[in-house]
Amino acid sequence: MQIDIQHIAKLSRLSIEKEKVEKFQKEMENIVAMCEKLPPMDGDYTSVDPSNPMQLRQDEIRPSLKRDQLLQNAPQTQAGCVVVPKVVE
Amino acid sequence: MTAASLSEKLRKKECSAVEITRSVLEQIEKTEDKIGSFVTVCEEQALKKAEEVDRKIAAGEALSSLAGIPIGVKDNICTKDVLTTCSSKMLYNFVPPYDATVVSRLKQADAVIIGKCNMDEFAMGSSCETSYFKKTKNPWDPAYVPGGSSGGSAACVSAGEAVLSLGSDTGGSIRLPASYCGVVGLKPTYGSVSRYGLVAFASSLDQIGPLGRSVEDVANLYEVICGRDPMDATSAAREYGAFAQKINRSVKGLRIGIPKEYFGDGVEPEIKAAVLESVDRLVKEGAQTVSISLPSTDYALSAYYIISSAEASSNLARFDGVKYGYRAKDFTNLIDMYEKTRSEGFGDEVKRRIMLGTFVLSSGFYDAYYKRAKQMQQKIAQEYAEAFSQCDIILTPTSPSTAFRMGERTDDPLKMYAADICTVTVNIAGLPAISVPCATASNGLPVGMQMIGPKFSEQMLFDAAGCFENICGGFGVAPSVKA
Repeated sequence: MQIDIQHIAKLSRLSIEKEKVEKFQKEMENIVAMCEKLPPMDGDYTSVDPSNPMQLRQDEIRPSLKRDQLLQNAPQTQAGCVVVPKVVE
Repeated sequence: MTAASLSEKLRKKECSAVEITRSVLEQIEKTEDKIGSFVTVCEEQALKKAEEVDRKIAAGEALSSLAGIPIGVKDNICTKDVLTTCSSKMLYNFVPPYDATVVSRLKQADAVIIGKCNMDEFAMGSSCETSYFKKTKNPWDPAYVPGGSSGGSAACVSAGEAVLSLGSDTGGSIRLPASYCGVVGLKPTYGSVSRYGLVAFASSLDQIGPLGRSVEDVANLYEVICGRDPMDATSAAREYGAFAQKINRSVKGLRIGIPKEYFGDGVEPEIKAAVLESVDRLVKEGAQTVSISLPSTDYALSAYYIISSAEASSNLARFDGVKYGYRAKDFTNLIDMYEKTRSEGFGDEVKRRIMLGTFVLSSGFYDAYYKRAKQMQQKIAQEYAEAFSQCDIILTPTSPSTAFRMGERTDDPLKMYAADICTVTVNIAGLPAISVPCATASNGLPVGMQMIGPKFSEQMLFDAAGCFENICGGFGVAPSVKA
């Protein structure tokens, strides 16, 4: 199976260094070849476990983390906001 | 020493919590250069907690079985105000503003968090060699890997740098290093331990679990961390009782399923022999064996890598340099910032898996790969259910081999992935499984044996593992520690 590494990388928001592209391509193709061994199958599949239905909490306001705590890890902040490059031209 | 015996000493006031913590810190000082189990050692916080425990003891308070016990926590589990890196450059400076639920429970039980354990980056790996910071060594022989991804968690317990530890298991990441380092490791039933605060790899497969030197210790730690958590919607709506004090070390009448697919050519002869010999010892104690088959075992690795990579590609999309963690220095616009941050922040294995996940979910390939893998997952779960109608537990080797040498498999991802062939089906089916040491191989390294049970059958696993522990006269520590 031919993998278009550059395309997949772009979809994943990754870039692969030129010198590593060939190696990555080969490795990916080997891994995909292993994955291709799966036989075609019938039938549905459900990810949901009927014996354990999800319980969502009530839509009530509760205390949460403080803004300062959350901004502590941000690479760049200003006036209580996270600074990022311009999003909309 | 086990947590149980240390806890006894504390109760009898034969030693203090501070003395226990100091002695573990001394061991870390002697050993860390050689083994490298930790990304962060929490000396100050640990001693502070130990002092708190001693005050409670002096005040005559009744304490939990984990009070004063030094525990290592895998570095993908959030600890408030303590660096949590997932052994990745992407989170090299990340200090969580909250505790994972399991960490809150440890603190409530007055356990002493001694450090954050090294791991494969973002839990992707089987050898602890993809960590951005350091490669942990196997305490039995430092030329060998400790296994992964919870390599640090297994090594610190094996080397006496912690009494117990928490790891996480998505495809074998607790059981494999437990087996390579000669300690006990449990991957609990999916949904029995909260994932809140565990940095997500594959949300439908991940579980946090305990590692220790004895079955009783592991059961005690499991008891503290298991339970429904409103913060984790996938945690099972279930009440749990005590486990450790209810261990019944007997296998009389226990039907042990031996699946032929786990004793085939993919497993080294010495491993097969050691595990089958252990089965014989259990039969002498009253167990019966049943030959069973799990025909889809051959496809499990493929299904696992498709499902886990697909979920990982989605879960790791959040690492973009915006709100936390690493951000690239030079970029021209937002998309460029994302690309540079992720390319510089992630290691090769992580990139490989993200790309594999993106690929199998992408338009035109979804049906051929992801859909098929999910159908296979259903089939694997059904095969286990059928097997459990004929037997009580299923017994297999934990891994096809002992630990391998550092660098031996880093050039060939498929060879590395092959270490997981005995463990992945368990995560796919959401079942509990425990790995216990069962022999020492001719290369001097431990051999691990895995017992798998139906969902929520941890007590039965503790019983059988406990019986085997008695037969062995206990599971020791790595020779380097005794010296």
